[in-house]
Amino acid sequence: MDIVVIGGGPAGLAAAIEAKKHNVKEVMIIERDIELGGILQQCIHDGFGLHRFGKRLSGCEYAENFIEGVESEEDIIVKLKTIVIEITKDKTIYAMNEEEGMMEIHSKAIILAMGCRERTRSQVFIWGTRPSGVLTAGTVQRYINMEGYLPGKKAVILGSGDIGLIMARRMTLEGIKVEGVYEVMDSPGGLTRNISQCLKDYNIPMHLSTTVVKIHGNKKLEGVTIAQVDKDKKPIKGTEKYIECDLLVLAVGLIPENELSRQMEINIDPRTKGPIVDENFMTSIEGVFAAGNVVTVFDLVDYVSETGEIAARGAAKYLKGDLDLSSDYQDIIPGDNVNFIVPQKIRKQNLEDKLPIYFRVKQPLKKVTVVGEIEGQKCLKKKHVVVLPPEMIVEEIDCEKIKDKNEMLKISVKVG
Amino acid sequence: MSGGSKVKNKIIKAIKKKENLAKYNIDIKISGDKIVYLKGEVDKWQDVVDIGHIVAKVKGVVNVVNDISAKGIKIVKKDNTEKIKKTIEQGKVMRTDVVIIGAGISGCAIARELSKYDLNIVVLEKNSDVAEEATKANNGNIHPGLLATPGTLKAKLNLEGNKMYTNLSKELNFEFKRPGSMYISYNKKDWRKFKALKRVKKTKVGYLIKPLRQIMRTPGLKWLTPEQVKELEPNIKGNPVGGFLMSTMGLVEPYEVCVALAENAVQNDVTFRFNTEVLDITTQDCVATGVITNESIIKCNYVINCAGIYADDIAEMAGDRFFTIHPRRGAIAIIDKSRKGFLNRPAGGSLETKKKGSHTKGGGASVTPEGNLLWGPTATEVPDKEDKSVEAADMEYITKLGRSITDEVSKSEIITFFSGLRAPDYKEDFIIGMSKKIKGFINVAGIQSPGLASAPAIAKMVGRIIIKDIGDIQIKDSYNPIRPPKVKFRNLSHEEQDELIKQNPKYGNIICRCELITEGEILDAIHSLVPATTIDAVKRRTRAGMGRCQGGFCGPRTLEILSRELGKEPTDITLKGSNSYILDRKSR
Amino acid sequence: MCKEFTCIVCPVSCTLNVSKEGEEIIVKGNNCKRGKVFGENEYKSPKRILTTTVKVEESCHKALPVISSDEIPKEKMFECVEQLYKMTVKAPIKKGEIIIKNILNTGVDIVASRSLKQI
Repeated sequence: MDIVVIGGGPAGLAAAIEAKKHNVKEVMIIERDIELGGILQQCIHDGFGLHRFGKRLSGCEYAENFIEGVESEEDIIVKLKTIVIEITKDKTIYAMNEEEGMMEIHSKAIILAMGCRERTRSQVFIWGTRPSGVLTAGTVQRYINMEGYLPGKKAVILGSGDIGLIMARRMTLEGIKVEGVYEVMDSPGGLTRNISQCLKDYNIPMHLSTTVVKIHGNKKLEGVTIAQVDKDKKPIKGTEKYIECDLLVLAVGLIPENELSRQMEINIDPRTKGPIVDENFMTSIEGVFAAGNVVTVFDLVDYVSETGEIAARGAAKYLKGDLDLSSDYQDIIPGDNVNFIVPQKIRKQNLEDKLPIYFRVKQPLKKVTVVGEIEGQKCLKKKHVVVLPPEMIVEEIDCEKIKDKNEMLKISVKVG
Repeated sequence: MSGGSKVKNKIIKAIKKKENLAKYNIDIKISGDKIVYLKGEVDKWQDVVDIGHIVAKVKGVVNVVNDISAKGIKIVKKDNTEKIKKTIEQGKVMRTDVVIIGAGISGCAIARELSKYDLNIVVLEKNSDVAEEATKANNGNIHPGLLATPGTLKAKLNLEGNKMYTNLSKELNFEFKRPGSMYISYNKKDWRKFKALKRVKKTKVGYLIKPLRQIMRTPGLKWLTPEQVKELEPNIKGNPVGGFLMSTMGLVEPYEVCVALAENAVQNDVTFRFNTEVLDITTQDCVATGVITNESIIKCNYVINCAGIYADDIAEMAGDRFFTIHPRRGAIAIIDKSRKGFLNRPAGGSLETKKKGSHTKGGGASVTPEGNLLWGPTATEVPDKEDKSVEAADMEYITKLGRSITDEVSKSEIITFFSGLRAPDYKEDFIIGMSKKIKGFINVAGIQSPGLASAPAIAKMVGRIIIKDIGDIQIKDSYNPIRPPKVKFRNLSHEEQDELIKQNPKYGNIICRCELITEGEILDAIHSLVPATTIDAVKRRTRAGMGRCQGGFCGPRTLEILSRELGKEPTDITLKGSNSYILDRKSR
Repeated sequence: MCKEFTCIVCPVSCTLNVSKEGEEIIVKGNNCKRGKVFGENEYKSPKRILTTTVKVEESCHKALPVISSDEIPKEKMFECVEQLYKMTVKAPIKKGEIIIKNILNTGVDIVASRSLKQI
């Protein structure tokens, strides 16, 4: 194979189509589910594709646009119900399915697009027992939207990220009473639009600086104890309250799914929990690229597709030998108020005229300027009225401005 | 109840010695066979337990029945009268030779041992699967037996059982490793004292001295230089001054052992009845005649009490209540598998946090046979026999202990935590034997650590009790001690994996991504001799759901497979039996 | 009656206070024209996109995701969902296929959000 794409979700689909656009001959997508689309297939809500298609599509509509693209390309080999269990450092892929058994696939380039998984109850240290009735939001979404089952009658949601908010609405429409959404931070984790249309519309209260501290019930969930937290996120004694419920929905964060990346000993960024990537979204292993949520969790699927396309273009160039693989990297580092940046490093020779960068701020800020500095000079200056951690910021660096600089590039968000 | 006034005075004196306990008025009665019955009210639960322990240690006391209550804590005793009436009315009666109450490690080991003989054996378990209580929630250590107080029954059976594990693992085909365990010292002064124990004959210091001296003189104990310590365990922190290796320490996945024992027992014609709770025990003229369950009356000759936490309640049903079980909760945390190989064996250091007079090993860092790092267990006395929660204090303690020798690993790498309830009596030793009051009623109670390690020896001991009582009994010709090995896809080479899939395509469908568990293995579990009927039962047999996503991905898929294979609606599938449904209703 | 809304037109998310005086709708708290229009619409006739699922047969999936072709009045959401519960559709389905035309006389169609093959 020329390029094998691991994962047929929005990143993988976009990558495969883009690879074909750039005349890569042998392209394969390996997908573990029974169909392409990845997590989008259970995202029946709208809000996808505003940037790319100018419309608010549902997740499945967005996915189908790309799936049509892949299926119309006769040359893209799609392996469904196939899972990759190992990739060696020399890019040998071990994948398996029921029909073909264990396959050894050799590929010149690989694009990792495995997406992400959900943080569990243990990782947020909720004390108490381990009854049934404690599920992550994605699992609840799967049960309701794809299997047609409701996991409870009365729910408490922990986490105000978008998935928690979306599920608040979905559960309410399906007849599950949502008692409230609890958020440990002092500001909401999801988009304002979702708070309005998923909570306010249905009179579901959101409690900030409050978290679930204990789970009750031996075999089946009987209730939870919630408590307010101080600025160090420690529960405040005396604020505990018991809430009767039979479903605790955990929307407590997404983590890039990097089992394979770690196995290959790819360098991982401890801030993003995903591979360190360069301007082509290439990882620390030559010819292995990464795109989408496996690199860092994006909030807009449009950007996920974009990174898939960047990785595919990079892989196409790599196959042709058009990439500079030897000169030193320059780092892109987060400055004031910036949590992390992707990509983390660049090779100037490989840049085209614009370099997109993706980053998040650490806290909500009003009236700010995004500043890019390299060797004491500003190469980026962009004003924003408001920036929020749940809304990833995407800027474009004009590569002319950094062409002759050799030191690191620092991106900061300064107030004023 | 009469007499023992000398003993009674000793007891009163012992309690009064403790400043915080002296204020209480405890009603003390002693029976002819030196069982002490305590009643009264104290301020907190720990005082109830402390008094029980103090009394049990008094010379001449055989055991303690502790009915002291703590202010504000109401222990609700189940009233089974209505349910018993219902069973009797329904009129279903069965007959067998031996009834074993409880399908934990003790019950399953005994079932397998007795299945050698020409006996009809039924195991009754109130939960939906084997190993649902303490058996699944411990650290899987097959202790060397050298740290248990010499002279106790548990020390004896531990040493015996430990030896038997090598053979047992071969017969039953479960994962067993014997990496030994390491004691590491960071304190030069302590270490010198330690080594001096080797030569010391007389001593009057500390609770640990007797067993430590025993360890010192054990052949096969390997003394280690600091360099050797670091060589064997390169990842431990700091600068150890020395250590020693107890080479007989073994590691198992305790639920795997329990399932293996149960399956082999079924191979040899033992019957397991799940969701079957014993409500009463019938006796006539001080002879056990049978049990009454929520389903039927079972007439039998022998009733073996392996009911763990509820062993005292079962003994009471038989009319022979001479001990009290006080639950002691142990919490454990499992670290992400990316730390596999961080430690090669369980290791504990000279930890300042170890409390003097504590009844159980406070823990340290251990390792599972799969290589996952394991922290804990804690030891907290709790009044409620169903209190299996994990609290913030547990995690603090676990983390402190774990990080005392493995500094690099942080709390954020924990993928799951859980707890189990140990079932000790107040003598803190095993109670194994035919009841002195009720013939045919055999107690296997007070089984706490080293219960897992002792299990094969406990089984042999109970076997001898029954054989002695019956007199003449033959080993079945058909007895087969070998349980065939299970498919573990993840451990095969890629060639073997390919072969397997070609033979059975169901092994080509990965259900649990984190642990690499196939549909084929899940089907094996559902259709095994002790079938898995719940999500947790599948997890125990296959490991599906034990990885870092904790069943987030595989959960719905496992549920679908269970629903399909068992012919049940998805809304009827449970996490762990009883009412632990995953799904409430169908969407309209 | 005064109602409070969070404007969702842009990230500033102004808090709008909207009330009716006589026949006129007064919007306060907005920083731009678009916010005024949003506030007026929210007050008069709040509308939302509906996304839910419908039972489907002869497919490898048990539920077909559907979406409204346009926004429908907020107060009719639950009633629409009730109507959709009564339905069962059969695969094959094409994305965009109309499942219910002009649901509850809103002028809005409910269409399939994806294609489903027949098994």
